[in-house]
Parts: sequence; structure tokens; C-alpha cells
Amino acid sequence: MRQWIVLAIAALVLSAIGFALGAYQTDVYRKLLLWITLALGYNFLFGISGQVAFSHFTFYGIGAYAIVILLFQVGLPLPLAVLVGIALCVVLALIVAIPATRLEGFYLALATLAFAQLFIVVLNEGGAVTGAAGGLANYRLPDVFGMRVTGPWYTVVIVLLLLSTWTILWRLDRSYFGRACRAVRDDPEAARAMGVNVAHTKIIAYTVTSALAGMAGMVYAFVDNTVNPLIFGLENVFLLLFMVIVGGSGRHAGAVVGAVLLYLLPLVLSPLIGHHHALVFGVFMVVVVLFQPKGLIGLWDMLRKRGGRA
Amino acid sequence: MNDFLELLVGATASGCVYALVALSYLLITRPTGVINFAVGEWSMLAAFGGFVLLSRLSLPYPVGMVLVLGGMFLIGWATERLTVRPLLEKGAPALAPILALLGMLVVFREVVSLGFGPDPQPVPPSFGFGRLELGLIAGSYQSFFIIAVTLSVFALTWYFFERTLAGKSFEAVAIDRRAAALMGINLRRVTSLAFAGSAVVAGLAGVLVSPNVSAHYLMGLPLAIQGFTALVIGGVGRVEGALLGGLILAFAEQFTVRYAPVPPGLAMGVPLVLLIVFLLLKPTGLLRAREARP
Repeated sequence: MRQWIVLAIAALVLSAIGFALGAYQTDVYRKLLLWITLALGYNFLFGISGQVAFSHFTFYGIGAYAIVILLFQVGLPLPLAVLVGIALCVVLALIVAIPATRLEGFYLALATLAFAQLFIVVLNEGGAVTGAAGGLANYRLPDVFGMRVTGPWYTVVIVLLLLSTWTILWRLDRSYFGRACRAVRDDPEAARAMGVNVAHTKIIAYTVTSALAGMAGMVYAFVDNTVNPLIFGLENVFLLLFMVIVGGSGRHAGAVVGAVLLYLLPLVLSPLIGHHHALVFGVFMVVVVLFQPKGLIGLWDMLRKRGGRA
Repeated sequence: MNDFLELLVGATASGCVYALVALSYLLITRPTGVINFAVGEWSMLAAFGGFVLLSRLSLPYPVGMVLVLGGMFLIGWATERLTVRPLLEKGAPALAPILALLGMLVVFREVVSLGFGPDPQPVPPSFGFGRLELGLIAGSYQSFFIIAVTLSVFALTWYFFERTLAGKSFEAVAIDRRAAALMGINLRRVTSLAFAGSAVVAGLAGVLVSPNVSAHYLMGLPLAIQGFTALVIGGVGRVEGALLGGLILAFAEQFTVRYAPVPPGLAMGVPLVLLIVFLLLKPTGLLRAREARP
């Protein structure tokens, strides 16, 4: 019960912020919320399940392209397009995950990296269907029950997306499944000995987080009202990885902190160093891995513990 | 037929570059189990080294090459010293060094983009832009140079692993880390040397390929992907595997572009498809690793 109240308050506050912002801030705010959504999902995949996959942003792209193509080229109604889009993400995730779980260690990273690159190649060569290098543009969200969802109301949609993603992942993490994921991450052999089905756990974690990324992609498609190959390149999946690690991998709050920090940092830094904020990210990443493997949230825990003792 | 033979030389040359990058991965992965995604960025750094020394300062080719490779040795050594060794000594999870190196990938790339800007920079080929014809087989000087250098590197590596004590200690560490340490092999030195050697090989690939593609701060990632595709095809266990994998990949790539009726952009997907197919069907690669002999 308490959890639902907290969620409702969070939904109200986050939506209220959306109504108070100007055009530019709204854009920044919406993308920030989307990055947090993605980072939460990636944290479950990488931080909690321990799978080094570079395909998370690809599923974001698949979701975005799927909804646009299904709505405006196939001509499906919105609810059906959403369902078909999610089904597509699930099927693709299963196709990648089922054989990939047989791979040990960094082979999953290689396979998903290839998959991510292949997606970009397909987008660029997709002709009229994907709009090639220019992508797809000049569309807008169809009316829902005769209403146009625009402006701050669309921000509310993103807030709901974020909170439902959070709830799903939080519940999963607190269930048998979440503990199984952590067990598989820490020691697959021991987990198997305790009766955890390692392959199933990995496949489900990969599929669920990929489908969530796909959903976020569908919502994103109507933020800029354009999708193109550049948006879904490898750079952004690295950024996602950096967010999770810098924030504190394996922790939901860490993913949020990392996403907020690394998303807002370039905006703060750009007057100082122009477009070279990626250098700061790289240094951050190396420093965190070397000196603070639990990330910023681990630092916060340490401070709180010290404060509690004093 | 002429067309085919010309393509053969070009494809072999690109295959040799992939093979060098694959070898660069292998030198680190084999003894340490770490996959270094920054290998492609090492090639990129060396290409820019080539640009500064050979194009800007116009040093003679051999002098410039030796300086670049010496620099790469230091960079590889320093990378290991600063980012990998502290983690190994702390007993960090196996994933930590891989992530640290991924961070270094971005650091290397952004430092270069900060220093040289986003424009491609020219690097001269070893013997100018001439064409060599040996009977039916013809190709650019640079192609033949790449093939010759790569074959020598692989011969040297083979000799090192098979005939020298230091090389055998690498193989021993690869087969069983603990046992090797107990036999008195200095794990730290093997790891340092693995990274330094890997950086030299990656650097060589970078300088060799840059006359064709120009030095560019984004050239690293495609090379890295082609390199590990070659590695996966050939198998991570054997030095010859890297060469075999590189050649297979380059032939598949170039012959698809030339003869298959697909648009050239889609042909860029060939190595990726090949990688996925090999990972799924034959993740150990074509050549199997050597097991410990009783």
C-alpha cells in the first residue's frame, strides 16, 4: 500500500514539473526521464543479471522504428501497433538471447555488439521502409480516444513509462527471480547447484529488459517526431553503461543518479569544454572502476554510515 | 581474371590488417583472459603517430615506424600499469579490467579528437603510391608491403611462442595461471609484456592501414570489430587462427562487395553476420586451443 502512495506522489510531482517548464526545458526534461528509464533497465541487465550486452539501445531503436513503421506504413491502430511492437522486441530478444546464453564471458558482448552494428546497417540500407540515413520524420502521435496528447500531457506519458518500468524492475528484483539473477551473476556454478535454472534466468532477464527498452523507444519516437540511424548508434550504449557504472551498478538508485549526472553534465560543461564531455565520461568511468567500484551510490552509503556512527 | 587476381591482393592485404588486430587481442586474451576493446584505439593512436612523424615532420619511413612502435610499446605498458594491474592486485571481478579498458577507449579517442580535430589526416604509404606487377598478380606497393610485414610478424610471434622460454611462459600462463605462478613464472611480467606487445601489433596495423583510410579519430571501432571477428573465426587459442580468421573475413567481405548482388552498404553487414554465425555455431573458432600436455 505504502509503495503505491509513494508512486502516486512521485507521478504527481514529476508530472507537475512537466507543466512548469518552457519549451527547451521540456525537451531536456523528457529526455532525462527517458535516459533514467533506459538506465534502470540496463542496470537490471548489466548490474543485477551481470550480462555485458551492448544491445540495450538497439532495442530502444527497434521500438522507436517499429511503432513508426507499424502506424504509418502498415496502418495499424495505435494500441495494436504498441502490442505488435512489444511482441517484435520480445521475439528479437529471444532470438538473440537463446543462443547467446550458451556463450561464455565476453562472447555475449561481442555478439550483441555485432547485433547493434547490424541494426545500424539495416537502418541505413532499409530504403523507404526505414528512410535510410535520413530516417523517418514528419509524423505525429495519432489521437487517443479523439484527444491529441501534446505538450506537458505527453511528458505525463513519459513519467508513467518511467514509473511503470521502475515498478516492474523493483518487483522483479525483490522476487525469487531477482535473487536468482544476482546468484547467476555472482557465481553461475553455485546458482546451478542451488537449483536455479541459469539459462532461463539469463534469457528472461535479457528479454524483459529488452522489451522495456523497446517500450521506451516507442515513447521516444514521439518526443522528437523523428527517428534516424545516428540516434541509435553505439556511442549511446556506451553512455548507458557509463551511467550505470558511475552511479553504482546493481542499484536502482545508482542508475538514477548516474543517468541524471551524465545526462546533465554535458549541458553544464559545454560552455567550458565544448563537445569534449565524452573525455570527462571516459575519465570518470576509469576512475570509478579503479577506486570506487560501487559507484557514487556506494560513496553515499559510506558517508551515511559514517554520519550514523558519529 | 585480372580483376579477380587484383582483388585477391587487395583482400589479402586487408585480411592481414584484420589479422594483426586479431593478434593484438589474442596476445592479451590468451594469458590474462581480458578482452581489450581499446585495441582499435591503439591502432588509431599509432595512425596519428604516423601522421605527425611521417607527414608533418617527414621523417624517413623506417625511423618514423620505429618511433611510433616504440611509443606504442610504452602506451601499452602504461595502460596495463595504470588501469589493469591495480585491479588484478585488488582481486577485482574479472569484468573490472574490461570495463576500465572500455573507459580508456573513450579517453584515447577523445584526447585525439581534442588534439587533431575531426578531420581525417593523411599518412604516407611506405614506398609511395606505385603499382607492382608480378606476372599476373598485381597490386599497390602498400598491399604487398602489408602482406610482407604481417607474415614476418606472424613468423616472429610463432617463433617467440614455440622456440623461446619467454614465449613458453606465456603459453603456460594461458593454460593454467596458478600452476604457472607456482612454477615460478612472473605473472606480472607476462601481463605487462602481453599488453605492450599487443599495443605494438595494434599500432603496426594502424600505421599500415592508414594510407588507405587516413588517420581519423573514429577509425578505431570498425578495426576493433573486424579484429575480433577475425579472432572469433580463427579461434582465440592459436596465433595461426588470427591470420586465418583475418584472411577469411577479408575475402568474404571483398568478394561480397565485388560479386554478390547486394548494395555496398549492406555488404558492410557481412563481417557482422559472419561473427554472429561463428559465435552461434562454432564459438571455439576454427583452430582449437592447445591443451596442457601430460
